[in-house]
This record gives sequence, structure tokens and C-alpha cells, in this order.
Amino acid sequence: MNYENKNLSCDILVAGGGIGGLSFAVSIKERMPETDVLIIEKQTAGYSGKANKGGGVLQYFDPEKVQPIDFLKLHVKEIGAYLGDQEMMLKYVSMNKEMIDKLSEWGVGIPKDENGRYRVLPTGPMTAMIRANLDMTVQVRRRAEKLGVRFLDKTAMSDLLTDGGKIAGATAFSILDGTFYVIKAKAVVLATGSQNYRIGSMWSSGRGDGIAAAYRAGAEMRNAEFGNFAQLAKVKSHHEVVFGENNMYNAEGEFITKNFRKTRETDISSTAIREWYIQMINGKGPVHLEFGEGHPGPGARALHDGSKDQSYDSRFRELNEKSAAEVDTDLEVCPLFIGEQSPICVGHDMQTSVAGLYAIGDCSYCGSAAPGAVPAPPGRNRGSGILNAVFAALVCAESIAASGLGGGAEIDMAQAESCREQLFAPLNRKEGVTAKEVIALVQKAVAPVEQSVFMKQDRMEQAMQYVRKARELAGKMKAEDLHDLLACREAEAMVLSAEMHYFASAIRKESRGWFLREDYPDMDNANWLKWIILKNVNGEMTYTTRDVPIEKWPVKP
Amino acid sequence: MINTAHRIEFFPEKCVGCQLCYKACFVDVIRWDPEAKKPIFKYVSDCEHCFCCQAVCKKEAIRVIPDYSSEHLLQSFERYA
Ligand SMILES: Cc1cc2nc3c(=O)[nH]c(=O)nc-3n(C[C@H](O)[C@H](O)[C@H](O)COP(=O)(O)OP(=O)(O)OC[C@H]3O[C@@H](n4cnc5c(N)ncnc54)[C@H](O)[C@@H]3O)c2cc1C
Ligand code: SF4
Ligand code: SF4
Repeated sequence: MNYENKNLSCDILVAGGGIGGLSFAVSIKERMPETDVLIIEKQTAGYSGKANKGGGVLQYFDPEKVQPIDFLKLHVKEIGAYLGDQEMMLKYVSMNKEMIDKLSEWGVGIPKDENGRYRVLPTGPMTAMIRANLDMTVQVRRRAEKLGVRFLDKTAMSDLLTDGGKIAGATAFSILDGTFYVIKAKAVVLATGSQNYRIGSMWSSGRGDGIAAAYRAGAEMRNAEFGNFAQLAKVKSHHEVVFGENNMYNAEGEFITKNFRKTRETDISSTAIREWYIQMINGKGPVHLEFGEGHPGPGARALHDGSKDQSYDSRFRELNEKSAAEVDTDLEVCPLFIGEQSPICVGHDMQTSVAGLYAIGDCSYCGSAAPGAVPAPPGRNRGSGILNAVFAALVCAESIAASGLGGGAEIDMAQAESCREQLFAPLNRKEGVTAKEVIALVQKAVAPVEQSVFMKQDRMEQAMQYVRKARELAGKMKAEDLHDLLACREAEAMVLSAEMHYFASAIRKESRGWFLREDYPDMDNANWLKWIILKNVNGEMTYTTRDVPIEKWPVKP
Repeated sequence: MINTAHRIEFFPEKCVGCQLCYKACFVDVIRWDPEAKKPIFKYVSDCEHCFCCQAVCKKEAIRVIPDYSSEHLLQSFERYA
């Protein structure tokens, strides 16, 4: 195959044009208007990614009612289980209003009341939600274009290029015509999303190839064992039932929520997923939801007024709900494995361990350590996904503006050429396996919740057998065309994510927050107030642990 | 999901060639035919039934018809395999 080579350069290269990448681009142009910013996006920035596929819910903290420290205490105890970076969580809560105002200023529609204040729905003593229109990414892209940000759509970043431990740029390819790009940049910002293993429909853009590129380039990973989110879904439509865990019943009509939950919690917990598995294994399934007479039923619809206009929001919701309603004749539920591994380790400036390489939003949520012992987003903290991406974007832009762009690193053309060869290898193979065969094996490992959410050494071993087989086949993938080539890249990334998950999960010999091991059921603060850091050293996955500096933070066990 | 059997109905006579559906597809199911100025539904077995292409089409030229039985939750009990 002979595809064209093109060399490009820019000051800052952003990989991924979801809400995180777009917000960063706008924010850095606001601070440093002369900076040449290029966004490369695998699909089409403004439409791709996740922010337009869901509830459009933004977490809201009423400054008159909630002190950041009070929310922090709740979060650390109930959600983060002492593993979170408390400074970052405090900063995130403190910047809530600023972030929402920024989105509004950038053109995102956020419904207001007659007094011009955001329409707020209280959801608990400390939490509340507001809504943002689902076309938010289109609006922020428009804003970015006005500020002079350049875009290259349908172009997937394939590898990061380094020069003596510093970032020098990245390689990318067009999924339409195969053009191979070598892009020189003074800084690279990864905003490529999390790893969802192509299981949940709406989550399917999270394929982890940005995470894999960072890993290959030597960037540290943290909290990789917390990439195992699952949610209850209706078994016919597979549509998720947010907060359904409060209303679970087994086949004998027994209310089983009481087995794992005494009082209402912020959101779905891994104990709900465990309960489903225990009921099933004991022959008491299937599990269904009951809401009682007069209850509106599942779903957090209160924020949406139900109006049916021609807006994207209305049409998107109506089409999805109508179609599911046609098949959902009952409320039988089962877990849908979502994953959400987001392990790129970043410091308070959003910089990775590779100088000049930054990571924001869903690709580094757990890696930033802000949420603690929970897969994020949503991290049992609804409405934090979009805002975390905006938060990380603003913090990253602020830190680059303060420290200035590094630069000075040179592209090593031999390195770029070797990336090119490896990238295109599946197109040149006459025989081999398909990307989907490899992905199916990874899914067999991670999707069954007793192998990924409610873990035990022997069951993890069983899962690892699939992962090892997938690793072996990943070296033999063949691609028919460029769409297929992208799938090969993604399949490779899924194998790596599963490897990281099981490697780190086997090391953490305790249960903490979302992380549940049947063989180590207790939280062990004496030995495990630690982060597990993974790193690629000459092709070998290695680990170290880092103590959580709990002594310098306000909330302690 | 992989290897889904969702279907997409396309009514070319209604399509005005605005490209929005092509842009809206977040997993590269839809390609663009520059000559015909129409979308091509090229990789339909990768469709995630997200309905975004249908939601953005102001001309009602697209209808997504999900086949939920082709999606798998992959739990270990036969009922959900
Ligand atoms: C169904 C659903 C409902 C949700 N509901 C809410 C909600 O109500 N409130 C909330 O706050 N959050 C919600 N979330 C989470 C929220 O949408 C995400 O946390 C947020 O959008 C993440 O933004 P991001 O830019 O970091 O990542 P993404 O939106 O995943 O964007 C990453 C982008 O990078 C691109 N990309 C990936 N790899 C490459 C590559 N190699 N080269 C180039 N480009 C690449 C992808 O195509 C994508 O466009 C929901 C998510 C889903 C799926
Ligand atoms: S969105 Fe509708 S009108 Fe526009 S190109 Fe697609 S099918 Fe045609
Ligand atoms: S329904 Fe979604 S995944 Fe399927 S073709 Fe349309 S936009 Fe793409």
C-alpha cells in the first residue's frame, strides 16, 4: 500500500475533538491568541465523542448552600474511599460556576428561568443538576473556529513522537484516504476519551487508542484497576436504567436492594452489580425492577420538560426512547459492562510523565486521581463527566499559559517511519485474523461482571486466558481497508487496557470503593492507601506504588 | 457492540446533501459520496443504533431500525450471553 506522506507543524496539537479537546482549544486561544492550535479528530469534531449522546446533565453546586469542603468530605468517604486527590476535587468544586459560565459564554445552550438564572434541579442535600443542550460540542467547535483553531477531521492519531523523553509531536492517518501525517508540535494534548471496549452502544467511541499511544510513549498510568464501570440495563433494549439499583427484586419477589444498601447512596455501586451476580448464581434470577403504583418509573427525566420540538435534544431523546419502548415489555435488568478506564497519570498541571504531553478529560480522569477509588466518569457522581473534561481543559490551558510552551524537541524521522510501518502492517498481511475476532476475546474477558467488577483471583485468571489469546492474535491482524485498520489499532488498545486492568487488579489485594475482590473483601488502609502506577519499560509492563499523601489533606480515614 | 444487524433505511429523493448525517456518525458507519452528494451507509455492521444520524437529518431521509437481538450483553448466564 502506498499512501501519501505529509509533514505538518503547529504549536499545540490536540488529539480528540470531544468536549474536552474543544474546550481546551478555546481556552488556550483566549489566553494565548497567537498560538497555532490544531485539533485532529478520528471522526468529526463537534459531533464525535460522548457529550452529545447522553443526559446533558451538569453537576451544580449552589455556592450559597454548599461549601466545597463539605462536598469533599462526602465524596472522600462515600465515593473516593480516601484514594482521591483532595486538592484537585476541591478545585473542581470551587470552579463549578466558572465552568458553567464558560460553556454558556461559548454558545452552549443552558436553560434559564425567568430571572435569568440557570434552571436548577436539586438532587440531594448537597447536589443539584442543570442541563446543557446536547449540541454543546457543535457550539464549542464553532467558537474554536472563530478563534482560529485549525481542524483535521477523520484523522486518527496513531503514535506519539518523543525526543529524549520530551514530546516532539505525533503521527496520524486519514481514515478516508490513508494520508500519513507526521506532526511536529511543542506540546501535545490528549483528549481522546476513555476505554469502553465497544460494549455499551452510546459509549462506543471510547476505544482507548489515545491511552495506548501514551503508554507506548512511556507515560505513566495510574488507577488502571478502576476501569470497570457497569450499570444496570434493560435486557431487551440494553438501555441503561440510571438509579435502578434502588428498586431491585429477584424472581421470588424479594426486595434485594436491602441486601447491599441500607440508605440511599449517590449512585449505582459495584455492590449492586455483585448482588445481581449472587442472585443469578443462586438460581434466584432473573432480576427485575419494581417502582410501585404511581411512580414515574426509571430514569432521571425531571430535567427535561418533555417538549417535542425539532431540536437535536428532543429528536435524539424521542427516537431513542420510542424505539426502546417498542421492545421493553418488562423491567428485567442485567449489568451492562461499560469500563471507563481512564488511566493516563497527570499532575496538577495535567501534564503526563512525558514532558510536554498533557492529558485531559475522559482519558485521564482516574489517572488524575481526582475521583479516587471509582471508575470515572461518571464516578458515582452524576453530571461530572462533561464538567471534568471542561475542568481539565481549563486547568491545562492555565498551566500552559503560565509556564509557556516548551519546544526544542526534534522529530526523529526514523521513529516516525517505524510507527508508519507498524501502523500499516495489517493492510499488508495476506492472512490473519480480523480486529473483531481480537475484540471479541477481550470482551469475553471483561464483560462478565464476575470477572471484572466482583473479582477473585481464579476468575481473573480465567479472564486473563482470553486476554493472552487476544494478545497473541493481535500481532496477526489483517485489515481490508482503512476503516478496518482503525479497528485494528483500537483492538490492540483494548488488549492493552484489559492487560492493565488485570495486572493492577491482581496487585491491589483489598476492596476499596468501587473496587471489589471476593478474596480480599475489606478495605486495608494500613497497606493500600496507595496508587498503583504502571509503566511500559522496554516493552515490559512494570509497576510501582505511590503513597497517597493523606496526611496533608483535610479528610482522613 | 460488534457485528450488529441494525438496519438503516435511506430515502435519497428526500436528501439535500447537507452532510450532517455523515458528520454525526461517531463510529464511521457513514461515508460521503462526493459525486452523488449523498451519504453511503458503508459499515452498517458497526452501527450502534445511537440515532444521531436520523436526529440531525432535517429532511427525514434516514430511518434507523434497530435489531436489539443482534446486540449482546455478554454476561456468563445463557440468558444474557
Ligand atoms: C450515554 C452517556 C451519557 C452521559 N451522560 C452524561 C451527563 O448527563 N452528564 C455528564 O457530565 N457526562 C455524561 N456523560 C459523560 C460525558 O459525556 C463524558 O465524560 C465527556 O463527554 C468526555 O469528554 P472527552 O472530550 O474527554 O471525551 P470524548 O467525548 O470521548 O471525546 C474523545 C474524542 O476523541 C476522539 N478520538 C479518540 N481517539 C482518537 C485518536 N486516536 N485520534 C483522534 N481522535 C480520537 C473521539 O472520536 C472523540 O471525539 C455521558 C456519557 C455517555 C456515553
Ligand atoms: S442529513 Fe439528511 S439531508 Fe443531510 S445528507 Fe444526510 S440524509 Fe441527506
Ligand atoms: S445510528 Fe448512530 S452509529 Fe448508526 S449509522 Fe446512525 S449515527 Fe452511525
